[in-house]
Amino acid sequence: MNKQQNRLMNVLVPVTALVLGVFVASLLIAMTEVSPFKAFGVLVSGAFGCSGKVWPLCITLGQSTPLIMTGLAAMFAFRAGIFCIAQESQYVFGAIVAAWLGVTLHWPSFLLVPFIMLCSMVVGALAAEIPAVLKVKLGVNEIISSIMINNIATLVLEYLVAFPLRADSGQKAQSAVLPQSLWLPQFIKGSRWGVSFVIALICVVVAYIVLWKTSYGYELRMAGQAPLFARYGGIDADQVVLNAMAVSGALAGLAGCMEVLGNYHRIMTGFSSGLGFDGLSVAMLGLSSPIGVFIVAILLAGIRQGAQLGLQINLKIPRELGGVLIALIILFISLQNIYTPLLKKFVSTSSLKE
Amino acid sequence: MADTICFQDISRYYASTNVQANDHVSFSIGSGEIHAICGENGAGKTTLMRILFGLERPDSGTILLDGEAVSLTSPADSIAHGIGMVHQHFMLVPSFSVTENIMLGNEKAKKGFLQKKDERAFVQKLSETFHLPIDAGAIVETLPVGLLQRVEILKMLARNVRIIILDEPTAVLTPQEVGPFLETLKELARSGHTILFISHKLQEVLSVADKITVMRQGKVIGTKLRSETDMEDLAMMMVGRKVVLHVDKKLACPKGNILEADHLSAVNVNGTKLLDDVSFRIRSGEIYGIAGVTGNGQDTLVSCISGLVKPASGEVRLEGASMTKESVRARRHRGMAHVPEDRIAMGLNMQSSVEENILMGYETQEPYCKKGFLHMGQVQSLTEELIKSYSIAGASCDSPVSMLSGGNMQKVVLGRELAGNPKLLIVNQPTRGLDVGSIEFVHKMIIAERDRGVAVLLISVELEEILSLSDRVGVLFSGRLQGELEGDAINEKNIGLFMVGGHV
Repeated sequence: MNKQQNRLMNVLVPVTALVLGVFVASLLIAMTEVSPFKAFGVLVSGAFGCSGKVWPLCITLGQSTPLIMTGLAAMFAFRAGIFCIAQESQYVFGAIVAAWLGVTLHWPSFLLVPFIMLCSMVVGALAAEIPAVLKVKLGVNEIISSIMINNIATLVLEYLVAFPLRADSGQKAQSAVLPQSLWLPQFIKGSRWGVSFVIALICVVVAYIVLWKTSYGYELRMAGQAPLFARYGGIDADQVVLNAMAVSGALAGLAGCMEVLGNYHRIMTGFSSGLGFDGLSVAMLGLSSPIGVFIVAILLAGIRQGAQLGLQINLKIPRELGGVLIALIILFISLQNIYTPLLKKFVSTSSLKE
Repeated sequence: MADTICFQDISRYYASTNVQANDHVSFSIGSGEIHAICGENGAGKTTLMRILFGLERPDSGTILLDGEAVSLTSPADSIAHGIGMVHQHFMLVPSFSVTENIMLGNEKAKKGFLQKKDERAFVQKLSETFHLPIDAGAIVETLPVGLLQRVEILKMLARNVRIIILDEPTAVLTPQEVGPFLETLKELARSGHTILFISHKLQEVLSVADKITVMRQGKVIGTKLRSETDMEDLAMMMVGRKVVLHVDKKLACPKGNILEADHLSAVNVNGTKLLDDVSFRIRSGEIYGIAGVTGNGQDTLVSCISGLVKPASGEVRLEGASMTKESVRARRHRGMAHVPEDRIAMGLNMQSSVEENILMGYETQEPYCKKGFLHMGQVQSLTEELIKSYSIAGASCDSPVSMLSGGNMQKVVLGRELAGNPKLLIVNQPTRGLDVGSIEFVHKMIIAERDRGVAVLLISVELEEILSLSDRVGVLFSGRLQGELEGDAINEKNIGLFMVGGHV
């Protein structure tokens, strides 16, 4: 198996999972007596279509923005060999900071917006350092500390929006709306697709360069894959983990910040809706590579969007089917040990013929 | 003697790695004989044994057992035919007792209840019958490696096998354990068992085997009686050319001190002393060998000098300046190179390519890195140069390092470490698990570095390696430097005395 074949395998596995997922989902759709071909046609046009007042594609790109960011965050943690699932908390903390500073500070917006972003990133990074330091210094399992810090973040959010940050005494616990001057512009009104997406795209490119073209990225990858080898070669593996987790937290924090500034313009209970966790799926399906994360984030956002806009509204198929399709894809990824031998055989025999 | 096993035209091809592991292998093994299979790494010995044990199917060819063709499809199948295998890496449950391990899968039970007493008595009887003494109640993780091997063998005997396959059985044993182990093999052969053992340690093979089959590149080169062959002959059959088993080296002409270790002590988390007041020095242009039985502080000493562990007290100096408090990276930049004992876990990143493995240690140095950005072109030209000058077979810049054979992996490590023109070279068990050809190469490289003026710290449990390479020898015994030897005093007898804590 040479490097090219390995790369081909890396792409073939998620593609196979996607095909199998679509196949099983088709069976489910067939049970509702709607043609699966029609359903997937509607799903795709609802996700990536370019028609109507607000193109579905633009909405999908807008929806994918926080997924790209939390996906990159999870990727940096994975690359350092840390299975940290605390992106949710970093995302929430980043959002809280953005909403709080946005309603309390009254600086000119060209100063305040970058300042808020910076603060969200710092707070996200600090939140990420908690499980990281516990892991490196005390050997605490990062999954357990992540779960706990996620709970803390959710509860802190609930408290803040219920009391100190609460805008009015109405039914819903939510903060005041941020001044319009702080809003990140959207390219098409109502699409959520805006400056945040461009920032996410820049993050993808920078992450790619850092990971593959710099000595920092090399140290990160080596320390994540073979910690003992890294230490032997003179890399301070503990420091690498702490740095990677700070980057990871900063990205997730920025994701929360951009959702507040660019999308909701306020913060409320149940703000996150599991975007931090979605980042884990995105990073895993995207093979922990920046480009993979970018593609998968758009794909997942598209499936959700298409299920809602297309299936539910047009065909009266519950939009949860989109969630089922995503779950099936993840399921087939985790079952890859069953079909990779077949794929490998296929890859090696087809390359022998060449 | 009737033939117990007869291989006829066995072939096995691995499509994924494009290797013809077995190429029309035919030979036979007599009943009750000890038959050694020798060959370099990748010669196809293990594949053949895996086929015999039912772990793999041959593409073509047949195996005859007592003259009858059999098809062995699983280990259970092979055991039913009386064939048992002891793997190189033990398959034991560490927290279980010896009895539980031996009876695993074969438990004696009455109405669903284990008959522990019966089991224990059975194991004890088994151990007496075959003169393989063992405490049936001992917990496996508390036993030394030599006894673990005995448990594995008993496990097979408990299943009534008459053919025992052993894959590199002595690789994990200390020199002291090897002798009794070989006696065990002879004992088993006397009781009518047929022993097939894979090894590339020719000395052992010649001292115990009745017949020796040599394999090279998947083919059988020949089968010889022990009486009609010798070491040089076997080595030549294995490698395909004449091999210099004797290490040629000029007299050392050492110059100034390079490494000084001063009263080094180290303790583990429990406060046990791992190193106790160790002092020595190595001059430029000499090889200082550290001998000793495994586990007498060698690993800790290497860790202290390479910077992976900070000593509790004492000092390490390189060219007169202390490096006790310096990081691994700082030490490497000052001219330390380190070939570790475990090349798979420590010396290499198995998930990565050859070039990325070569880069390690230089990733912040010019010309491979400028202002934080890697210059992979420079890394590639270094890698290509090393692949060429070390003739690393099967390697290219971007091929995964895990595809290489053990000897070629060691060449990658050695090439990387020597590429920085070190002043101090630490080599820990440099030839463990390597074949004859690679050993010769590694030894030549170490001596060439010495002649270039490098101070070499050689740690090895192979007494022969210490004897043939070292200019001076220090012997570690329970963390202390039991004694130092120089010149003519370096011999097996003196080192052996120090190794067990005696004095010369």
